[in-house]
Amino acid sequence: MRLELGRINITDIRFGEKTEIQQGVLVINDAELKVLLADDPNLVGVDLDLAKPGEDVRIIPVKDVIEPRCKVEGPGGVFPGFISKVETVGSGRTHVLSGMAVVTTGDIVGFQEGIIDMSGPGADYTPFSKTLNLVVSITPLEGLPQHKHEHAVRMVGLKAAAYLGSAAVDLTPDQVEIFELGNFAENAVQYPTLPKVAYLYMLQTQGLLHDTYVYGVDAKKILPSLISPTEVMDGAIVSGNCVSACDKNTTYHHQNNPVIRELLLQHGKELCFHGVVISNENVTLADKIRSSDYAAKLVKMIGAEGAIVSEEGFGNPDTDLIMNCQKLEEMGIKTVLITDEYAGRDGASQSLADATTLADAVISVGNANEVIELPACKKVIGNLKTAEIIAGGFSGALHADGSIKVEIQAITGSTNELGFSKLRGEGF
Amino acid sequence: MCTVVPISLTVGANRIVPAVAIPHPLGNPELPCDEEKLLRRALVEKALKALQTEVEGQTIFE
Repeated sequence: MRLELGRINITDIRFGEKTEIQQGVLVINDAELKVLLADDPNLVGVDLDLAKPGEDVRIIPVKDVIEPRCKVEGPGGVFPGFISKVETVGSGRTHVLSGMAVVTTGDIVGFQEGIIDMSGPGADYTPFSKTLNLVVSITPLEGLPQHKHEHAVRMVGLKAAAYLGSAAVDLTPDQVEIFELGNFAENAVQYPTLPKVAYLYMLQTQGLLHDTYVYGVDAKKILPSLISPTEVMDGAIVSGNCVSACDKNTTYHHQNNPVIRELLLQHGKELCFHGVVISNENVTLADKIRSSDYAAKLVKMIGAEGAIVSEEGFGNPDTDLIMNCQKLEEMGIKTVLITDEYAGRDGASQSLADATTLADAVISVGNANEVIELPACKKVIGNLKTAEIIAGGFSGALHADGSIKVEIQAITGSTNELGFSKLRGEGF
Repeated sequence: MCTVVPISLTVGANRIVPAVAIPHPLGNPELPCDEEKLLRRALVEKALKALQTEVEGQTIFE
């Protein structure tokens, strides 16, 4: 499949009368967008704010982050199964509003939502302090059940991103990147001497608001499956929001998965990119065994000699990670694992809940238990009190002056296990 | 009693009784109440039996 990503560089965002992009400045008709987003019987309404890099602003609790895009050529549309009808994406051309994001916030849904600081020490830990953000604060009906609340906020984020993305339909991109991958047989013939590398992409699917969707399908209900890397780049995978902020893959992370991007860029140079297998992280032992068996088998069937495996979340999914590693290694497929650590505040505890001696090549993207002091911000979008109940926060985390002390677990994307952020652990 | 037996093995538990699922280790919300009660009783009885069983090294009570 061949996908062109046409990037329109967004240099500023502001509210105005007509939604359009003028020389890189995205103007948003906030009145029109509010009406569109509030059109849901489960919501009281939405508010819109802007948060820009360097501003003294804190967004809390952050649910999802989404990159606005639109489909301009080829089959399918944005977020198939949610916004567009189900149709295979990943080919043709898609325009991207580069340098900006939609961030959803508002009343807390579960307890695993995050913090984005646009300046100060917290800003270094999240990639979304560097994007121009349209922040959507969502107010649900009182007493709305959590799962309906989660669905409503997920849809608001996707709708907002699709609305903004459509402003780029007729524009000429600032740059166009082309990503293409042939089928396994073609690749093997074309690059016979390069190592064949697959990517095993683990998706968070523990249920109870810890979910991920593929073409609209709840991924806990799938058997591991093959997916084209360009389908992932083109919005086939959507986040279900409520996983620990530091190591959940927001929809933005899925759209911009750096493992997929690098593998495509290195294809035909250092390696032969042999495909992507998506797998899940379910809550029964039988599911974990079945999915890891199936995922390892698929990687073997496509003829890969090595596999990169990325986890999402932590705790019992560590077992899925280790099972995947063990089964691949026992089939003779070399693995590299990407995971974060929960090694205690002093870093002295066991990092993962499970282990195998076969996991001899592991990239650590940081210790989520490290504690950070975040000074008060002049402006808070959302609700600062949730600092005491989100994962990584604790009773007493919020101080009278508005400053907070939390584990970096509470910061959106801080230990992202796709390697999207800047932290890494070193062995010594 | 735990759902993810490999983790119990990793941390060195001696007697391990596999449980139902991580969000509900000792129950199953999909069952009607009376059937769930039977399931719960069977699990507890199995655990009590395990406690009374001499083991040499880590043992899983399937």
